[in-house]
Amino acid sequence: MTSERLIETLATGLVPVRPRRMSRDALFLAAIGVVELALLLMLGGARPDLMRVMMMPFFWWKLGTMGVLAAIGLATALRSLDPTMSPRPGLRRTSIAIGVALAIGWLLDATHRSAAPLAARMQWHDGLRCMAVLAVLSLPMVIGLAMLIRRSAPTDRSGTALAAGVAGAAWGAFVFAFACPHDDPLYIAIWYLGGGAAVALAARWLLAPMARW
Amino acid sequence: MDGMRDEWGELMAAAQGGHGGAYRRLLGELRQWLTRYYARRLPPALVDDAVQDALIAIHDKRHTYDPARPFRPWLAAVARHKWIDRLRAMARERTDALPDDIATGGHEEAVVSATVLRELMGTLKPAQADAIRLVKLEGYSIEEASAKTGQSGSLVKVNIHRGLAKLAAIVRGRSDDE
Repeated sequence: MTSERLIETLATGLVPVRPRRMSRDALFLAAIGVVELALLLMLGGARPDLMRVMMMPFFWWKLGTMGVLAAIGLATALRSLDPTMSPRPGLRRTSIAIGVALAIGWLLDATHRSAAPLAARMQWHDGLRCMAVLAVLSLPMVIGLAMLIRRSAPTDRSGTALAAGVAGAAWGAFVFAFACPHDDPLYIAIWYLGGGAAVALAARWLLAPMARW
Repeated sequence: MDGMRDEWGELMAAAQGGHGGAYRRLLGELRQWLTRYYARRLPPALVDDAVQDALIAIHDKRHTYDPARPFRPWLAAVARHKWIDRLRAMARERTDALPDDIATGGHEEAVVSATVLRELMGTLKPAQADAIRLVKLEGYSIEEASAKTGQSGSLVKVNIHRGLAKLAAIVRGRSDDE
């Protein structure tokens, strides 16, 4: 087919489209997040001592870290859906934020040093379960981002897929922070980071082909 | 170019609203821009395909253009994305399969000649074989062959003469046998 013929074909069958708006995509993801968090709280998923631990710095460090990472990740993923935007600066900011969060956690841990031995603080059984729950709670946001990726035009497939994975994992961890009874910085650093990394890497491999266009 | 960019943005905004005429005009102008873009980046044989790929991508993703923003960066991003895709495809398909019935020259004669020559050279003394190989086969001068073999220039000439005479006698003998 010649280019002239192609242009004629494309123009003849033209249908109106609604231009993509980042704010609309953000609202879509916010709705997913609000529904997920509301369901968790309404269905009794919150930890029973939530009111008490809200007075503790560890809880706020955990919640704040996951919230900031989710915000950076979501902004990065959303921006990278535009063909003119790259996810790389956002991913670098995410790495810096993780480093800062770990440093703050280490400081908190140093000022409230636990007397328990290291192996006991790790709590392998609970940790593995936390990783699995975190992955499940990441799914709604990852699926929502996958839907947006499919209908947009990212030009850095692997970067956008990774950013979506980071955003989904961080949001899953944020929601899980209301349910997880553990606030030990060492536990959070290992199991939340491990679970989040697993989700991000899985999303990197699974979503990248969906970003092809 | 700014005026053109704004005009293209307006045409695309109209196309997003379903205006076929504006879209036809826009794609026609973009086709020329894309042809120049890919002509600088791809082999000539691939330019038309790349232009059509880009036009289809622009059509499929036209809803991702925000009319509130400049059109040119969006167009350049789409064109560059399709260009990189094509480079990846070229890297994956670096070789083309040749047809089974392609005509090629035979190598039997050259192989037989090389084998016979090696066999004949093996019948000579090493000094004669070296002199003939260097001067007659590899093109060295008498002086260069002398330096390489350690023989004097006169000896190189003598060895060539005697070696060739011996080879001629062997070949004549084989012809008589046949």
